[in-house]
Amino acid sequence: MPIVLYRIDERLIHGQVVIGWGHELRPTRFVVVDDELAGSAWEQDLYRLAVADADVEFASVDDARGRLDALRASPERTILLTRDIASMRRLGEGGTLRGVPVNLGGLHHAAGRRELLPYLFVSDADRDELERLAAAGAEVTARDLPDAHRVELAALLGG
Amino acid sequence: MSLSKRAVASTFVRTFLIQGSWNYHTMLGTGFSWALLPALRRLHRDDPAAFEAAAGRHVEHFNAHPYLTGVALGAVVRLEADGERPETVSRFKTAVRGPLGSLGDQLVWAGILPLSALVGLALYWAGLRPAWVVAGFLALYNAAHLALRWWGLRTGLEAGRDVAQRLSAAGLGERATALRPWLVLATGVVAGLLLARPEGLVGAGVAWAGLGAGAFGVGLVGGHRVWRPAAVATVAVVAAISLLGVIR
Repeated sequence: MPIVLYRIDERLIHGQVVIGWGHELRPTRFVVVDDELAGSAWEQDLYRLAVADADVEFASVDDARGRLDALRASPERTILLTRDIASMRRLGEGGTLRGVPVNLGGLHHAAGRRELLPYLFVSDADRDELERLAAAGAEVTARDLPDAHRVELAALLGG
Repeated sequence: MSLSKRAVASTFVRTFLIQGSWNYHTMLGTGFSWALLPALRRLHRDDPAAFEAAAGRHVEHFNAHPYLTGVALGAVVRLEADGERPETVSRFKTAVRGPLGSLGDQLVWAGILPLSALVGLALYWAGLRPAWVVAGFLALYNAAHLALRWWGLRTGLEAGRDVAQRLSAAGLGERATALRPWLVLATGVVAGLLLARPEGLVGAGVAWAGLGAGAFGVGLVGGHRVWRPAAVATVAVVAAISLLGVIR
């Protein structure tokens, strides 16, 4: 399975992903799926700084959806990242994420967001997006690091 | 606008206290905003409402390595001075925090700090008086630490939004990698001195061996939560030396 991790993390490429998950999964490529970042060279330069020994690509949600099959068929070990739930949900339109494990890795505190886990704060709109993502067939669980306890979506939203 | 020397100095001093209000909600965010106050006050000298709005905007979540946060602070001062839109400034902070965090972790927590500590230990086991050992450790560590903080703030102030090029030209990650052989060398020197000294672990006996083995067990179970290779290696070295003491 060449996409080794689908992750929703506001911080995108950072220590937990590069070192924590990177150590476990040995990715050779990061694909950041985000409409705004896909068109912003200076921001891409900043995110690229965090990765020394893997490729970093940026794609809009629609682009990435069109390329999903190619990404999965490629020998590159890819970590696919979005910075919000909505982008991942849109990526999964048309059932492209059916049966695919999606990892909730970090959404920080902000006005209007409530705490589900110490590393996970969501707004009401986020909760809707989560339910839609799950309804599209994605297997959503929360886990910040590979060694951490995995929390099922039902347990997250049930509280 | 260019900041007065006084405002730059004041911002620099404030970077030392940037973790003073660390919390799980904003992490470094509150400290970041506080460190920006001298610059923001100067920028909005004639408009107290704009000053308050700007200060309030920056009490948002921010996290990075504390020593490298100056890069972001300096760049944000530039962006605010250039009148960038708040959304752009916020997006800059979002993008820069990850690299600053991971570069700082590699360079400082996994490089300069353990290397300085090992050099200190080597000096101690080489027979230097404890006061000199402490002074040597503090001088070595803080020479790098202070240089990094100052360089970071200056670089941010100069480069603004385009700080990525400056950071990658500085090769902080490569520098961290280059420190690794020195860490191994220092570990070897410390281990050798430990074995060689008559008051070292060689003569310590069963209690130390038990302690070493216990620490090794703790490292195996809990080490991965911290810094797996470094933690396990350190504990393994201590355990091996302790056991050697028993065999002899």
